[in-house]
Amino acid sequence: MSARGPAPADGRPLPWLVPAVAMLALFYAVPVLDVARLAFSDATLVRAPEGWSLAALRALLADPALGQVLGTTLIFTAINVVALQVLGLAIALTVVRGEARGLRGMTAFRTLVLAAWVVPGIANGLIWQMLFDEAPYGTLNSMLGAVGLGPVAWLSDPNMALASATIANLWQGTAFSMIVFYAARRGIDPVLYEVAALDGASPWRTFRSITLPLLRTAIAVNTVLVSVQTLNTFDSILALTGGGPGRATEVLALFTFNTVFQNLDLAGGSVLALLLFAISMALAALVHGWLGRAPA
Amino acid sequence: MRTTALAAMALTALPLAAPAQDLVTRNRVGLPDAPNTMTFRLTPYDLYSADPATAEKFAELFSDFIRTRPDWKIETQLQTGNIGQEQARLLQQTQAGRGPDCAMVDSSQLALFKENGVLKPMNATFSDEEVADLFPYVREAITNEAGDVLAWWWFTDLRVLYRDTSVVPDAPQTWAETQEAALAAAEAGKEGILFNAGRWEGTAFDWLANFWAQGGELVDAEGAPVFGEGENRDRMLAAIVYAENLVESGAAPSRVTSITNYDAFNAAAAAGTAAMFVGGNWQYGQLRNTLPEEQFANWAVSELPGPTADQRATGTGGWAIAALTDDPQKAALCGEMAKEIYAGPGNAYQGLLPTSAALYDEYDAYEGPEFNLFAEALQNGVARPGAAIYPEISNQIQIMLGDVLSGAAEPKAALDAAFAAAQAAYERQ
Repeated sequence: MSARGPAPADGRPLPWLVPAVAMLALFYAVPVLDVARLAFSDATLVRAPEGWSLAALRALLADPALGQVLGTTLIFTAINVVALQVLGLAIALTVVRGEARGLRGMTAFRTLVLAAWVVPGIANGLIWQMLFDEAPYGTLNSMLGAVGLGPVAWLSDPNMALASATIANLWQGTAFSMIVFYAARRGIDPVLYEVAALDGASPWRTFRSITLPLLRTAIAVNTVLVSVQTLNTFDSILALTGGGPGRATEVLALFTFNTVFQNLDLAGGSVLALLLFAISMALAALVHGWLGRAPA
Repeated sequence: MRTTALAAMALTALPLAAPAQDLVTRNRVGLPDAPNTMTFRLTPYDLYSADPATAEKFAELFSDFIRTRPDWKIETQLQTGNIGQEQARLLQQTQAGRGPDCAMVDSSQLALFKENGVLKPMNATFSDEEVADLFPYVREAITNEAGDVLAWWWFTDLRVLYRDTSVVPDAPQTWAETQEAALAAAEAGKEGILFNAGRWEGTAFDWLANFWAQGGELVDAEGAPVFGEGENRDRMLAAIVYAENLVESGAAPSRVTSITNYDAFNAAAAAGTAAMFVGGNWQYGQLRNTLPEEQFANWAVSELPGPTADQRATGTGGWAIAALTDDPQKAALCGEMAKEIYAGPGNAYQGLLPTSAALYDEYDAYEGPEFNLFAEALQNGVARPGAAIYPEISNQIQIMLGDVLSGAAEPKAALDAAFAAAQAAYERQ
């Protein structure tokens, strides 16, 4: 006989789940279903749906810009996700090590990194637009010029513009990864590190055999989160380059925004939003399946 | 009887005595308990301007306006600077019956609002003479076939060529002269000529003057894109090649493809690094207020150069105020506000260009020599086409210019891609 009596949900969990499911459906599923409905319509931003067809989907597939936009999105997302993890982890481990050694200023350092995270995307874009200014008096180019380097075509060269947008995104997004890894690293039992030290393990061996395996779940969660965040990034790019020059920095989220608000094409924008949703879900499933499994 | 009269006097005197700051709050003009309410969606450049002096002036104008209408209060709603998104939202809300009674509408969006039938006549406010005194392109945009006044386009603007006369003494009249002067300036260590070529509306709008100067048309009578076919295609190509040559020759720096605001030109002028730039008329006042007097004295404005000296055009924009309500009293109040606050003293205070010829004579603010040049250039003014497809055409032109000027595409291929995309978008509308 159990020490406790039956819990309220034992045997009949459904009624207890209904409020949570209803709330989630209301705030998440209904908008997604509405977007799906609009994707098969002829709705524009100024006209309600009058008919239903696959025309918006066909138009999207026939759009020659889609390939370039997806390519840009892939490069932007891949570089950001990898770099965000590496930088976030590096900063988190530096802070933890600094704290373990009692170094002063670690809290200030952590706060400084976090400060970038709370800057709105639009402001982030504007800040970096000023820094990347290619005018003869532009900030970064002037600094480079002082040491005999540059000037760099930060925003006017199509390839460099994508690199600049990535730098701006990394500056802002690294703090989030740092928080995730910092929390996960603090959760690792310090005894493991003490044993490793007694065994004479090198820092690299300690990192490879203790830190990294025990951060596996955090890395999986963080990869999913920063992938989705990066895929949805459009505000900082909108302020930094507007997607230009040409379409050089136009990622899928910005392309969706432009489709709806430049061309007023709500149905087309809904198809793109669904595509973005599908890519995010696929990435999440992939990463969860790959990194999220418990080690055998 | 005497008590009633005193009470009535007191009620009337209250709003008259109320100081300006009490009558204007962050979301209201007038007394909170006024029986009638008109909602008004406005831009953040006047009553709620970041510039305290401008905000104070408009608070004073609004206070005077509402004091003479004590039965009314105006509930204000602020638009952000994201014009395309705000205007699309405004139209959508109005169609759904949730829009304001009165709103500021960007001149490039007027046709879209007209086409969707949401603008309500304000005939009672504006006389035939006042309508007749408007510039022709303005009159055409704000009236319908029946002659109804559907909006009041209260100020206009235009693009001109700014030059540092210590570097470029004579105003270039043609594209060739412009490139020659800019190259000479570049050889002297300056940035020869700056213009918008980043990804934003200003890029398309400023550059389109080169296309319009040749007689080019973006859309046909039905609003379908035609800029990539027939003679329009040749005109487009000529205008693209002009810009391409400026960058390739070094007359313009390659950084123009990253310029997405007019402030960049003011900064370059202040730093003394630019010889010429294509800017808006409003920048003249900004330069006067920003530059030291002796430095400002070097700057002059002239009409935008054309392919030949007698082929000229300039893009004209500005804002209109329109009634979106079926209530005739609110529509009348909306029109009166446009007329008494914005089109007259408001414009004169801000140095914005009125759309009515008579107002240039009425206010001393328009006595400077630059206004003669602006008025002359406005004769070649071209407004953006009143077609729903225009925002997408502009988007495609921005992409096309960015690709060509950054060396990512050839002019013909870029134009064909832009035209095909605009046509596909038109078919989807």
